[in-house]
Amino acid sequence: MNILVEGSEEYGNDVYVELFERILIDLGLTNKVEGAKLLVYPEKHLFIVSVRMRQARTAVKVKEIADVSEREGNAYLVIRNESYAPPLLSILWKQFGRERIEQLSRLEIMAHGVPPTKIEDLTLSPGEELKKEVLDAIWRLLPEGFKVRHTLFTENVMTITSTEHDMHDEFVQMGRKLHEEMVNGLDLESRKGGMGEDDEEEEAEGDV
Amino acid sequence: MLMFDGGVYRINELYELVEDIGGFIIQKTQLQVMITVTIAIPAEDRAIIENKTRELGGKLVEVPLAGTEIAVVGPTLGRHHMPHPICDIAEHLRRYGAITVVMGLARGKGRQTAQISADEKAFIEEFDAAVFVLGNFADCIVKDKIRLFEKIEVPVAVVCGPEIAGLPNCEAMVCGIGRKVERMRRAEEIAKLEETAVAVQQVMQGRKQEIDEDPLFVHPAEVKQRIDNLELVQQSLRPSPIVLHLDGLRVKVPYAEVKEQLCGIDIYGRRLCDITTISPSRLGGSTMVRILTKAQVASKDSRPVKVIGGQTPA
Repeated sequence: MNILVEGSEEYGNDVYVELFERILIDLGLTNKVEGAKLLVYPEKHLFIVSVRMRQARTAVKVKEIADVSEREGNAYLVIRNESYAPPLLSILWKQFGRERIEQLSRLEIMAHGVPPTKIEDLTLSPGEELKKEVLDAIWRLLPEGFKVRHTLFTENVMTITSTEHDMHDEFVQMGRKLHEEMVNGLDLESRKGGMGEDDEEEEAEGDV
Repeated sequence: MLMFDGGVYRINELYELVEDIGGFIIQKTQLQVMITVTIAIPAEDRAIIENKTRELGGKLVEVPLAGTEIAVVGPTLGRHHMPHPICDIAEHLRRYGAITVVMGLARGKGRQTAQISADEKAFIEEFDAAVFVLGNFADCIVKDKIRLFEKIEVPVAVVCGPEIAGLPNCEAMVCGIGRKVERMRRAEEIAKLEETAVAVQQVMQGRKQEIDEDPLFVHPAEVKQRIDNLELVQQSLRPSPIVLHLDGLRVKVPYAEVKEQLCGIDIYGRRLCDITTISPSRLGGSTMVRILTKAQVASKDSRPVKVIGGQTPA
């Protein structure tokens, strides 16, 4: 993962690279984020963050990750892939309420009074979860007073432009331009940055 | 000012010795069988205390900030500023004997929107000094954040990230500590904490010299010794029910309950309220006692006593 910063103050730029790295480590997102670029211009009251995420797991239906059957009028689920257990429980709680969902064991769930057909076709979307986590990381990074925000999101790139007062067209354009660069595969690896340096060395060794 | 760090066994012998040599116990903190005692003693008697400490199996540490209460102020209480680095700084100052209070402003975030209220300023002015902890951008600090600590009547030390040549309205500056999201535990970060503690010590030294030019009528530690005996203070369950300041003390008992008793305390033949200003503190349920200087007491004494009817008493 590499983080690039452009801005008017060298000290602030360096510190924000370190801050963002620490925030991503704290949230366990280092493997899920491919890279980021920040534009930091405190004199213009402007802070833009653009993050490119690695591909999240594709959306799956419940029947693809669990065996769903009927047991005395209730739906009985046996989870085949345990890594989906937390999002599955979460979506069941959301759809049918906690009082109707009982986790019998590590891999067994009973949905009381719910026909299996209602559960089989529910969709789990891990990508949504990742978006929320990355958004949380960005909010932790942005200066606290920069509350006026403009967000751009496409598949795996999220860009947030933030300022303290009016969101000028110029700022939005800068955000859009950065977003497009990131979507079009701005090369983050070949430039200077904190955590990517090791990766560069590994690649160099590989080439030899 | 020294801090004894050791066990509670035979600790009364230390207390008696401190009293015998004319010193004061400033603060005691007991944790099960361990205790730390902050003491103020005459410099020439230090060897006696060192011998006793050795005898009791404890150790003695120099605490140059003992007897001071310092506010460590951040722009807000949000996670952008707390707990790091504000609490790290506060904790480090405690190691030098200061009592520290961490405080976040209600509307200190942002640049042009950052502000401090008159109430917050008055609250900060109750302390001996304030440490303002700011962020990473010089432009923001120099143009906007300086408003936060202007017209504060106690000494201010500013801690910030970028190297800045100087700022108005502050007595000391430490650069190299900006926003942090993790504890300051690396060697270079601890060195910066040390630098902050040294800067605060210098600020306090300056304040002490100012006070020495027009000395207080009585040392705050002497007042503390008398207030310690009040029942309301002894019943207080708050940690450090009496906190020493350079020019007075904070008594953590509500003003309405304690004012009469405080006023009646006898110090060198005078009532406490004749030689101090006693007022409610902005820190909830506390009372501030500010000691008048010798000159102020003398000036008060020389004023003619006015009696209703225009006659002076015989």
